[in-house]
Amino acid sequence: MMATPVTASTVSPVHANPVTSPDALTTLLKRNKAWAARTALQNPGLFPDLADGQEPEILWIGCSDSRCPETTLLDLQPGDVFVHRNIANVLHPSDLNSTAVIEYAIRHLHVKHVVVCGHTNCGGVAAAMGNQSLGILDPWLLPLRELREAHQDKLDSIPPNKAALKLVELNVLAGVKTLKRTNVVSEGMRKGLKVYGLVYDVGSGILQELVTSRSDEVIKRQFTSESFKSEL
Amino acid sequence: MPDASDPQAVTRYLEQSHDKIFESNRAWVAAKKNADPEFFTKLAAGQSPDYLYIGCADSRVPANEIMGLDAGEVFVHRNIANVVPTIDLSSMSVINYAVRHLQVKHIVVCGHYNCGGVKAALTPTDLGILNPWLRNIRDVYRLHEKELDAITDEKARFNRLVELNVVESCRSVIKTAVVQQSYEENKFPIVHGWVFNLEDGLLRDLKIDFEGMLNDIKKIYNLTSS
Repeated sequence: MMATPVTASTVSPVHANPVTSPDALTTLLKRNKAWAARTALQNPGLFPDLADGQEPEILWIGCSDSRCPETTLLDLQPGDVFVHRNIANVLHPSDLNSTAVIEYAIRHLHVKHVVVCGHTNCGGVAAAMGNQSLGILDPWLLPLRELREAHQDKLDSIPPNKAALKLVELNVLAGVKTLKRTNVVSEGMRKGLKVYGLVYDVGSGILQELVTSRSDEVIKRQFTSESFKSEL
Repeated sequence: MPDASDPQAVTRYLEQSHDKIFESNRAWVAAKKNADPEFFTKLAAGQSPDYLYIGCADSRVPANEIMGLDAGEVFVHRNIANVVPTIDLSSMSVINYAVRHLQVKHIVVCGHYNCGGVKAALTPTDLGILNPWLRNIRDVYRLHEKELDAITDEKARFNRLVELNVVESCRSVIKTAVVQQSYEENKFPIVHGWVFNLEDGLLRDLKIDFEGMLNDIKKIYNLTSS
């Protein structure tokens, strides 16, 4: 059997040429119809429940990258995850967009978990590792470049791909820190809200936790056990 | 969720639901690899999505699921009530990156009926830090005050505001230099406005006239020459 060449274009099988295809959007609407019919059949109570309201337990703050669809990779259902996704999952303290999401999720929906998730091969992080001017993206990526500056010695001492991953991790940790400093999150944490930093590996599909208040043994069992590795 | 009066039960519950996040991720990975052993290897090579989806943060409207798309197929921005304020650096960065660096072919703004954000904007209540964000939706009401005031049925008026909010977000997307310039040069991206119905899971295309809207906008917001 011929191996499929691994190129970025093989990832997008929806249309051979979405621009010239007049059906590009019709196809998505058809897929939506099929999904709605399938979902209603498999879980007849779902749509009536959804119409009643939402009670998600997780707020997911992740990257806009197409390879990181939160509900899909968590294998969860509509209604389970409240979502904010932006370029490189950066949390600027003065960004009203993410601030409004966090406020609504915690104060009005009472989510139990807040997840900041970065990922490997992040284009925003790669851009911040370079020195090219990127127009409007420059101010957005500034916190990443600041982290790079603060950890320059460490990042210079390791290979470029490792350095990019390190910056991904530093960015997630900075996001968690920014969150914990806000009033709404610290208040929530006093009532049991949990905040986690995660990294998603687009090359394996696996989520890893970066920081946790839970015991090392539990983390070890979950993410680094040999059985976990061999299964994948 | 157990009763809050039993802190140990609450802690146990939180640990279990935390574990579930990773367990279900593992199950998904196994299923994907089973169906296509190369699935993740291909994704590791890079992304080239055809679509940018701008939608609501609402948990009931997961972008990939409702469009039947897999990982790698759609670039996503989600915020409260799918608003695209023209001075919001976050959404402007997403649009810029998607159009300039990923060359997406379509931009979909998707709202949904029964949107909590839109509802909040119809309520005379001080919601603290949410006020400035939701004020964008109140502005949409003001722009279409006549039409909305003429709708006597409250639910119908709420639904119409959801739709008009999508239309105004489409307009904001088209106001950007990156969209105008790319369309002039490449004939893409094309901007679409949709509404998702929670009651049956179906998407409705509002069929906005993209070319017409672009031409109208360019009378004042033309940014095509550099």
